[in-house]
Amino acid sequence: MIDLPGKSTLQVYPVSEGAVTIEFGKTIDEDIVNRVNAFDRLLHQKGLPGMYQTVPAYASLTVFFDLQTLLDAPLPGKTGFDKARAYLLGLNEQAGDFEDAGQSKIITIPVCYGGAFGDDLEYVAGYTKLNSAAVIKLHSEVVYKVCMIGFIPGFAYLGGLNPLLQIPRKPTPVKVSPGAVGIAGAQTGIYPLETPGGWQIIGRTPMRLFDAKRSQPSLLKTNDKVKFEPISLSEFEKYSGG
Amino acid sequence: MKIRIKRAGLMATIQDLGRHHYLSQGVPVSGAMDSLSAQIANLSLGNDANDAVIEFTQSGASFVTEEDMLICLSGAGACLKTEIRRLPSHRPLFVPAGTDLYLENAGPGTRSYLAVAGGWHMPDVLGSRSTYITARLGGLDGRFLKEKDVIKSTGKLTATTKAIWNDLKGNAINYPKWSVARELFLPADTSSIRVMRGREFNWFDNASTSSFFSNGYVLGHNSNRMGYQLQGKSMHRVIEGELLSTAVTPGTIQVTNNGDLVLLMTDCQTTGGYPRIAQVAAIDLPLCAQLKPGDAINFKEISWKEAEKLYIQHQLELRKLAETIKQRYC
Repeated sequence: MIDLPGKSTLQVYPVSEGAVTIEFGKTIDEDIVNRVNAFDRLLHQKGLPGMYQTVPAYASLTVFFDLQTLLDAPLPGKTGFDKARAYLLGLNEQAGDFEDAGQSKIITIPVCYGGAFGDDLEYVAGYTKLNSAAVIKLHSEVVYKVCMIGFIPGFAYLGGLNPLLQIPRKPTPVKVSPGAVGIAGAQTGIYPLETPGGWQIIGRTPMRLFDAKRSQPSLLKTNDKVKFEPISLSEFEKYSGG
Repeated sequence: MKIRIKRAGLMATIQDLGRHHYLSQGVPVSGAMDSLSAQIANLSLGNDANDAVIEFTQSGASFVTEEDMLICLSGAGACLKTEIRRLPSHRPLFVPAGTDLYLENAGPGTRSYLAVAGGWHMPDVLGSRSTYITARLGGLDGRFLKEKDVIKSTGKLTATTKAIWNDLKGNAINYPKWSVARELFLPADTSSIRVMRGREFNWFDNASTSSFFSNGYVLGHNSNRMGYQLQGKSMHRVIEGELLSTAVTPGTIQVTNNGDLVLLMTDCQTTGGYPRIAQVAAIDLPLCAQLKPGDAINFKEISWKEAEKLYIQHQLELRKLAETIKQRYC
């Protein structure tokens, strides 16, 4: 409950002619993440005029809208920003205490740790003064929370990493495979695509984190819960989804 | 109507006005870098402004018309030519089947857009035809165009497009006397890019922020559809600390931990964690889109209120353009 801001500290600022950000705090804190998501759900029920998309982050929610539609709406203020700000602050007043984080799914993600799929597992074990088995245990025993999606399509920033596993990112990003599971700082995450990445790679999942053909392309959404399940190489090879 | 690519040139892709409904799942906007020129190319043909176009970077591409075509090229830096003559840009062109066309260097600028009557026929992927190379999404199999690709029109022509077609069709290349004055949609003063103050503007010392507006920058070689490296005086912070990642958008100018500036462009990631010194006015992004590595870029401050006003005016002018072309033919 440290640093949980009161309603009065809510800040709204413009990010483009068609987007504003609502800032709920300045720290990574589960209560703030819950508050961002509760506000996001409320906003989707009520709907700012012209709104077509929202992007929740650790401690902020960005609302994208069509400026002309917003300007045409009977809201106080002369500019689109003034109208959006007045509407969002008003919504915050009505919003209650945001204590309920809502229903969130727990998604189990199978991971083959180490070996050819986790090039950096040994390094992580050495750095953290643990052995590989302990790293795997500490990484897979926690239920993580999806704090935000960003960086590349379907990339989830997961909160809840055991502090014993904190490790700096690599000085220079290297190419990682789709499904690579990495850790860096207080965070862990899964790379959905082949991309340069700077996190320490400890394993790989055969699950597809992003698939444009699915009705929800990103497997994970903000506020979901995630659990990793260690699997063997042969289980990885046999994995066919589902 | 269809064309066959003979030489794809540099990084040619299919684009429209972008993929706006999956930002929360980390999918970038993408779309034409110079959305103004993409719209002019489409509107000149009586198309919808959001129809799929081909984005060419610099010159060097060539293609052959496999059927009689109605096309339009807009943008800057290149124009269409046949074996023997240059063809005008920013206006509809009737081109008979079997004509070889080339993209030739023409003045400053770097991106050109080829529209076809009815729009290029491409699958809708997450609400857009735009190509996003990193995730191999959209366009033609999510990739750059290549030699031998055959690309055809949807064949769905508006009444305006049909009227333009009937007016121009024949046995030889034909085009009307009018053209869209693209420069009238650009600011009168194109020497500087208008920006609004970013959320973390005050994180930098006065010397840095005043130099941001008074000293120019040069576009670095590591510049692409995701972002531009801006080389010049580096920024010094007065407020230290890490910024929590939050949504960013094309036009955001971030300052890296080394004090270097990065201008995010249309394929940029959906979230970022660097302090934001400024946001480029949306209507000046097409000017940025036409810059190439080595080009100079200068910034001038406007208010957020002014930016909104300019954006609304610009949208209105584009609607008027569509209406004017429609009324000329229908």
